[in-house]
Amino acid sequence: MNTRSSILVLLSIAVVTGCQKLNENPKGNLTPSQYYKSQADLDAAVAAIYTELTPDFSFGYTSQMTSCFGADDLTTDPGLNKQPFREYDELNGTATNSGMLAEWQGPWATIYQANNVLAVYQNVSTTDQLKQQSAGQALFLRAFCYYYLVRTFGAIPIVTGPIDATARPPRDSVANVYALIVSDLQVAIAWLPTSFPGQPGKATQNAARALLADVYLTMTGWPLNQPSYNALAAAEADSVINAAQYSLVPDYGTVFTTNNNSEAVFGLQFNVAGGVPNRTLGSSCVPLDEVAVNGSSGWDDYYPEINFYLNRPLCKRSNETFYDTIKLIQPDKSYQLVPWNSTLTHAGHPYYKKFRAAAGDGVIETATSIASINPSTNKTKDFIRYPMVLLDFAEASDMAGGSPSAAAYAAINLVRARAGEPNLVTGLSQTAFRDSVVAERAYEFAGENGVRWYDIVRLQLLPQILAVRSPLENPVPSNVDINTRYISPIPQTDMLKDPNWAQNPGY
Amino acid sequence: MKGLLLQLLLLVCGFAAYAQQTPIKGRVTDENGSPIAGATVNVKGTRTSVTTDALGNFSIDPGNKTNPILVISSVGFTTMELPGTPGGTLNIGLKSETKVLSDVVVVGYGSQRRRDVTGAISTVKSEDIAKRPITQTQDALQGTTPGVVVTQNSGQPGGNPFAVRIRGYNSITGGNDPLYVIDGFIGGNIESLSPDDIQDMQILKDASATAIYGSRGSNGVVLITTKKGHPGKARISFSTWFQNDQMPKELKLMNAYQFAKTVNLQDSMNGNGASFTQAYIDSLQLHPAGTDWQRALQRKPWVQNYQLGLSGGSEDVNYLFSMSYLDQPGLILNQWYKRTTFRSNVGVKVSKKIDVQFNVYGELPQSHNNSYPGDLTDPFSQAFQWDPIATIKDGAGNWVPSAPYASIQYNPIAQATNQAVDGNSTNIAAQGVLNWHILKTLTFTTNNTYSLGWNFNQSVFGPNTGNGNQHTDYAQIQSGRGRSYQNSNFLTYHQVFGDHSVTVTALYEQANGLTLGQTSKSVNLSNYYLGYYNLGLGATQTTASTYTQDALQSYMGRVNYAYKDRYMLDATLRDDGSSHLLTKYALFPSFGAAWNIGKENFMANQKLFSDLKLRGGYGITGNQAVPAYSTIPQVQVGGIENASGYFYDGTTATRYTPLGGPVSKSLKWEDDAQADVGLDASFMNGRLTFTADAYHKKITNLLYSIQAPWYNSGQNYAANIGKMMNEGLEFGLGGTPVKTRDFTWNGFFTISFNKNKILDLGDNNNLLVSGVGSPEGNLQILQVGKPMGEFYGYHFLGTWKTSEAQQAAVYGNKPGDSKYQDVNGDKVIDANDETTIGNGLPKYSFGFSNTLSYKNFDLYFMLQGTHGNQVFSETIAYTWGGVGDQKNPTTVDALNMWSPTNETNNPTFSKTSNNAINSSRWVYDGSYIKLRSISLTYHLPQSLIGRWRMSNLEIYVSGQNLFCITKFPGYDPEVQNTVSTFTAGLENGLIPVPRSYTFGLRTTF
Repeated sequence: MNTRSSILVLLSIAVVTGCQKLNENPKGNLTPSQYYKSQADLDAAVAAIYTELTPDFSFGYTSQMTSCFGADDLTTDPGLNKQPFREYDELNGTATNSGMLAEWQGPWATIYQANNVLAVYQNVSTTDQLKQQSAGQALFLRAFCYYYLVRTFGAIPIVTGPIDATARPPRDSVANVYALIVSDLQVAIAWLPTSFPGQPGKATQNAARALLADVYLTMTGWPLNQPSYNALAAAEADSVINAAQYSLVPDYGTVFTTNNNSEAVFGLQFNVAGGVPNRTLGSSCVPLDEVAVNGSSGWDDYYPEINFYLNRPLCKRSNETFYDTIKLIQPDKSYQLVPWNSTLTHAGHPYYKKFRAAAGDGVIETATSIASINPSTNKTKDFIRYPMVLLDFAEASDMAGGSPSAAAYAAINLVRARAGEPNLVTGLSQTAFRDSVVAERAYEFAGENGVRWYDIVRLQLLPQILAVRSPLENPVPSNVDINTRYISPIPQTDMLKDPNWAQNPGY
Repeated sequence: MKGLLLQLLLLVCGFAAYAQQTPIKGRVTDENGSPIAGATVNVKGTRTSVTTDALGNFSIDPGNKTNPILVISSVGFTTMELPGTPGGTLNIGLKSETKVLSDVVVVGYGSQRRRDVTGAISTVKSEDIAKRPITQTQDALQGTTPGVVVTQNSGQPGGNPFAVRIRGYNSITGGNDPLYVIDGFIGGNIESLSPDDIQDMQILKDASATAIYGSRGSNGVVLITTKKGHPGKARISFSTWFQNDQMPKELKLMNAYQFAKTVNLQDSMNGNGASFTQAYIDSLQLHPAGTDWQRALQRKPWVQNYQLGLSGGSEDVNYLFSMSYLDQPGLILNQWYKRTTFRSNVGVKVSKKIDVQFNVYGELPQSHNNSYPGDLTDPFSQAFQWDPIATIKDGAGNWVPSAPYASIQYNPIAQATNQAVDGNSTNIAAQGVLNWHILKTLTFTTNNTYSLGWNFNQSVFGPNTGNGNQHTDYAQIQSGRGRSYQNSNFLTYHQVFGDHSVTVTALYEQANGLTLGQTSKSVNLSNYYLGYYNLGLGATQTTASTYTQDALQSYMGRVNYAYKDRYMLDATLRDDGSSHLLTKYALFPSFGAAWNIGKENFMANQKLFSDLKLRGGYGITGNQAVPAYSTIPQVQVGGIENASGYFYDGTTATRYTPLGGPVSKSLKWEDDAQADVGLDASFMNGRLTFTADAYHKKITNLLYSIQAPWYNSGQNYAANIGKMMNEGLEFGLGGTPVKTRDFTWNGFFTISFNKNKILDLGDNNNLLVSGVGSPEGNLQILQVGKPMGEFYGYHFLGTWKTSEAQQAAVYGNKPGDSKYQDVNGDKVIDANDETTIGNGLPKYSFGFSNTLSYKNFDLYFMLQGTHGNQVFSETIAYTWGGVGDQKNPTTVDALNMWSPTNETNNPTFSKTSNNAINSSRWVYDGSYIKLRSISLTYHLPQSLIGRWRMSNLEIYVSGQNLFCITKFPGYDPEVQNTVSTFTAGLENGLIPVPRSYTFGLRTTF
């Protein structure tokens, strides 16, 4: 063999043995094209929608209601590390607020997964009924998230399916967003069953109805101001009431220590060991200066404004809602009990009692001592409780007709009775009745997921709220234009991604 | 094989046959008369060679030659030939090789004489590496090489804390680290290499040098050649050092008394009730210290390093075996890194035409708690955030989990003590190189490396850790196996026709990598008696596994042409294909030219220059630094990192599979076009050397991991987004200003200037860098016309003064509040007033190293520094409290807040002051000068050690980072966050580079 041919041989051996295939085959990763074939695939895709709502940076922590701190049921420390909440408490939220980001990214990430399920569910080989149940949950969750987004941020883009990485859709009108929410919920109502036995965390038909009732009621107020939706809201709520699927838990306090109880219509499920803790309860609502025997202490994130507490109806519910005796640990680990407004306390504010215990894993305490204060709990986060259906019905049916009906009275009185309040005085005018319902909602849902704030927004109540705000609260800067504060600025991260987007007025 | 045996036999017989001849004796010394050990003495035209002993003496049998010529050579000296007389004695003085340009340098797929090189190449030699007690190879590049900026991002032991940047940042995503090529194996694991095993490193900087590595050359290339045995009798080398590491600095924090008073001041300014009674504060005043969390966490560990080598060889076989062991505890408690490396390099001359090299090497690192992510929740950072009033343990001896003031995080001492993250890896590679000298002018080389790696990492976060406290305690085992191979085949044709010299190289190369990983996690173990050894005890158990494979295929051709040793031309063309991209293949051309002016006739009579060369080149390199499968839409599998499932009934986990983010519809190579002009000169017979380079790089199709808008998942996707530029100047000045018989001073100064600018971002102007920074995240921004990684936030102007009360009120502020620049003048401070407030890229960086030798003593020191870079210090922000998880200030500067009588620029506690925002308040000048190293070495005299049969014994004491001159008030201006490779200048509580004191010895016998 001469030299030349040996070179050739050698080189050709090298080249032939080589020839790398440059096409990728990700054997350890699922790709959409090979997936979404079976019911199990679809179930896992649906579970992914719910899961997106659970982290701290979504709806799993107090920051889920950052933009709602302008309400009177929420305030925070004037100093410490509470600036994200304080900005909004002072009606001075900014586009770079790190807490508010959870209210933007959590729902959007959830919508992204819901859109995926809606894009693929028809490819799965399973029964039409199971397909519809999966798609129905996706529609419910998409509507649920758009509802939070549109109330918090106003005009937002409408994304209902997969879009290109480079797509930059415009902010759509508030009316169009509500139209999407309504149509999603209508289909969800048609497709969802009344219950998923053994799986109380799944959205059901009546959860969709209850949510739609609340959506309609919101549409009657600011910014759409469409009173015609009152009748629709009343009808949806009424159908949930007539279904008789839910009943009030006799003891108000128990609602906040039990999961998936008889009045839970829709709630987010948590499991600490599974890496899904609810961190809205426990430490988050405990005063800074409360220290447990084991050394753990409170985070002081949120508590009610002083006058909100002082103006509370005096009833069992208020006793179970508010925490007004602060336990200060002494060097011998005994506790000195002081009233909330004692100068010995840090904040000089009352706190929430109903969020302390969680599912028995939040604050572990007796009346006179605290064993431990824990930030991560297994408690379900109830977004729709049956009292909301009752109060939505009471208000909507009142506003749809000329005056409150007996059924409207019956609905609110159910809630009041459980609260330990007497029946509402009869013969109230339409407006007076509505105001009574709104006041009832404030205390029934105090501190819960911004319910109070969104009432303030749809009824444009800021002037009244601020008029009775205690001077001891965090001050609202004099240069703030209140009229622009009913919606939050869009986060700067996404504003910068699209030069065609205009920030909300006043920010 | 038969032939080889025959030859060996003949050789033995040959020795036997001529053994009766009278030997020639002699002694080889350097210019100062010091003996040169290990010099090779060869009888010209024969295979007879010997090496000199420790005293430089040799004795060689001239065989049957009557007028033998001896060839005496030694590394670093000019080879000499002189006639010898059998039975005679020769005293040979070798001259040190001062003409740098006559070195041979490895250039990738071959080597060249330095004088023929057209590219910008710098060299670091084993002698330079040995000057400092270093644990990682990259450290040897710091301050020694023009155009190379090395920063040590963390003082945590082990891992890879170094960011090596050659000529600035060349990519805004993934890869900015240079390509390491170890004995021809591309992308070799630099961490696995013991610095003692390195013969030299060539740093290829400009495109005409790096383009042979095409798609992977854009960040520069570091070619590492490991040591080989030299012919002669076996040599044993041993070195060791012991080093005491210390925290270079502590933050000045308040004691318990000052802290309590400050908390009370905060309460009263905010209208809160006082946290502490006067009686309590009075009691603290008597014992003010409280807990010093920094001191409680810190350690001053002893680091040990040992290296043992055996090398030698004959004409046909050379061998080198080495082992090293490093034991490096960390600066904080319960943290260490240990590394064992071994290497076996064997070269065999199989026949006249064929030689082979076979290297096997491995690394066995073990680590314990050395992978803190470097963020503000680490124990190290918590130590400066924790309440000094709190105690580490309570009266009953239980760990205190949390404190009511300052940080809300878990007790850092308990965390550091009770967690365990243990890493164990085995990385082994085998490399075979065959050179077939087919013709005198034609060589075929095949270089094949196969490397294997396993890791087995166990961790437990059980009782008395933050996880335990939150009932998310867990144990986890993560294991992986990886293999990669590279097969490079090239033909080299070299021919000289009169004054013309031509070298042609043709290459085919392929590489393939595969990794498999598996993770098991077990939450809420029923007990932790077994730690991480049995995950079966967990209430919730999850697993995940991964598979990644990628491939590269390349063709390359290169022509080097030289005329009369004066004019050099190079051209290279490489065609690379990558599996990661949609547009698989790309062509990377380069051209280079050089003119050896010093060789011109008109230079013959001048005395000034001993060498003078002008170089220039242009070329395109590429970057494919996106992960495998970047363009394939994926469905993720949830489970380990966050939620293990969704719990529809609160207790039963349902698996979930979120859709991954959107992907690019097109993804191609990042192109890096670079032009370089350089000058190499040496003066006064090589006493002074000077090198200068100017370059301009334009990077197009910039690869970036863009965060999709939140309405489209908020996840990152790889895309080509724009253009960027780097331009700069670099200088190296070396010399021997003083050289007498007893005293020599060698110095080297290098300085590098680089300017980075983003030229185009397509539709993505103002790209915020997601997830980076605090108080508010999104600290850094990419903007056209600005350098990469600008800090973005509010411009802090100090405090509102009493005289400005009226103006302050317009902004809802009062005197003592933070004052920010109202950029758009709308009387409101909001996101529209955010602007660029600093940058972490240095304007220039420099190193200055010196060796002063007097008789048997060497004094070496190196200064190194950067200038013009800023640091955004989250550490300082957090010591002021009111940010993130930090409620109250801990810094002693809080005692000097604004007050009506002392109007400082430290904002006071106020309900109306916004302090927890990204602002220039936390931006500091990050320029520094460090005394990187100083050492004093004593070479024991030959007369003494010769008796012990040693050829060399030196002992030394040295100090690293003994001082740092900087205006930066934090721990260390050098340490920087590496969340994203270009987040230069972001500092968020990383362990600083230690100050250390070392003593060690090196010996050869």
